[in-house]
Amino acid sequence: MSKALIILFFATLILSFPVAFTMGIAGFVAVMMHGTLSPLVAIQRMFAGIDSFPLMAIPFFVLASELMTACGLTKSLLRFADALVGHVRGGFGHVNVLVSMLFAGISGSALADAAGPSAVVMRMMRGAGYDKYYAGALTAATATIGPIIPPSILAVIFAISTNGVTVAGLFMAGVVPGILMGAALAFANHIISKKHGYRGREHAATWAELGAAMVGAVPALVMPAIILGGIVFGIFTPTEAGVVATAYALLLGLIRRSFTVRSLYAAFSSAATLTASVLLIVSMGSVFSWMLTFLQIPQDLAKMLASITQDRIATMFILAGFAFVCGFFIDTLPALIILTPVLGPIAASAGIDPLHFGMMLVLNLTIGLVTPPVGAVLFVTATVGKLRLEPLFRAVLPLLLAQIAVLFLVILIPELSTAIPAYLGFTK
Amino acid sequence: MSLFEKAFVAVNRAIVAGTLMIIFAIVLMNVIGRYGFSHSFSWVEELARHLMIFGVFAGAGLALREGRLVAITLIPDLLPDRFGHLLRWGVVALIFIFMAVVLWFSIQFVQFGWSKHTMSTHMPRGVPYLSIPIGATLFLIHLGLFAKRFIAGEFETDTHFEGAE
Repeated sequence: MSKALIILFFATLILSFPVAFTMGIAGFVAVMMHGTLSPLVAIQRMFAGIDSFPLMAIPFFVLASELMTACGLTKSLLRFADALVGHVRGGFGHVNVLVSMLFAGISGSALADAAGPSAVVMRMMRGAGYDKYYAGALTAATATIGPIIPPSILAVIFAISTNGVTVAGLFMAGVVPGILMGAALAFANHIISKKHGYRGREHAATWAELGAAMVGAVPALVMPAIILGGIVFGIFTPTEAGVVATAYALLLGLIRRSFTVRSLYAAFSSAATLTASVLLIVSMGSVFSWMLTFLQIPQDLAKMLASITQDRIATMFILAGFAFVCGFFIDTLPALIILTPVLGPIAASAGIDPLHFGMMLVLNLTIGLVTPPVGAVLFVTATVGKLRLEPLFRAVLPLLLAQIAVLFLVILIPELSTAIPAYLGFTK
Repeated sequence: MSLFEKAFVAVNRAIVAGTLMIIFAIVLMNVIGRYGFSHSFSWVEELARHLMIFGVFAGAGLALREGRLVAITLIPDLLPDRFGHLLRWGVVALIFIFMAVVLWFSIQFVQFGWSKHTMSTHMPRGVPYLSIPIGATLFLIHLGLFAKRFIAGEFETDTHFEGAE
């Protein structure tokens, strides 16, 4: 039975079925073949798998970041980042890193960043004489900070499918790794810019210019403050934070007259369809992962791994290696949905803190967004920047090394992910 | 696109966008109510969850049209055109059969849930369960109308890049 489930999943995946259906079909067929299970169990899982209030954070974080962009607020973030770091060596590269970190506090998605503000900086970098493939590579790499710094759609999905982890807890776990990721990419940009002689803006911004840019960015910077502050101080749940952030963006857009009825409708419609595509995978994936657990596959794997090593960090490295390889071939979101129930119990039985494991998995699979053959962010950057994939990937490689270094740190030092949530009391 | 298809898509879109607007309004109302008037409604969370589930299944067909249902298309792309085409038709046929099976069993699931009641709105559980058969029906109609373009990869908004990851 276990074999049928796994084989069917991979067969449908390779034969180009949409990922949602690969998991739905494999799970459904396994339930039917089992003999003693009613097919209604599969339907019940489809429903129950997305019957969750925290999941609702997803459409609202998508909506909030779309409305913010429609208000022109992401541009003000860009001006602020430029005034702050545009003049140092490799200035536009640093602007790219910083704007991704700031935008990550609004959006929970790397693709939104790669197609939005980062794409704008990519054009600025090319205009300033940076190699177009390096500009694209840095844009792709920095976009992956989006799902690490809260809010994060991936964190929501991991948290709802793992015992002992709250959405707020995993959000907070991402703060330090997200900042580390930004710092590592800025460092890599510094080295590369030094080698290629990429310079910054001629003059540093004056205090007056910096002040003006900061004042302009305040309405945008308030957004992450609402989201994080609201969650940290227990004013509202992450879902409510998404709703309040949406309301804030809506209010701001109305005051600035940035919306038409048509554009507002389009934003809601687009967020709704995007949510449907994401949660359809979660729903179908729930049939699949329920069947995996029912057939005790994760438990068997855990036993097997325990016979190899009992050491926590060694176990983490094995799990990370496995997830990293999966990240090459499977999209981040489906990979997260499949791997959480398979690897989660292994991590738990090895005594690994679920927040530490969750952050490793999210970070790991997010890095998979810039690795071929299946790397969504790489594809978006290639399309937006009209770049060929092969040289783009070659340009990503040094940045990838910086990202992997951060992943190693996050694996080796659990406190990087667990200290803040523990301090704030977000551990169950 | 035929007039019927255009209208069908427009209505479907209005349903999912409208559902999200309602969820937004009631959750916001509850947050404001809790801090502004020290009162919140216990049914909001449950209704919001059920509306979201409805939105997900009702929006699946639109996600298909917009090319948002991600797949690994390496094999059909590598195959000679004729075989690749054949493979894609096979995929569409199997998805159709799968969703028809889901429709069939989800109707039974609705019947099964009709005698039980939800926690806070006290309606028959079968009502929220209706999301799946309604969504599956909409999806089957979308797939039927859109199959040819799905196989040719002619999605409706190929310039849309924002995603969940």
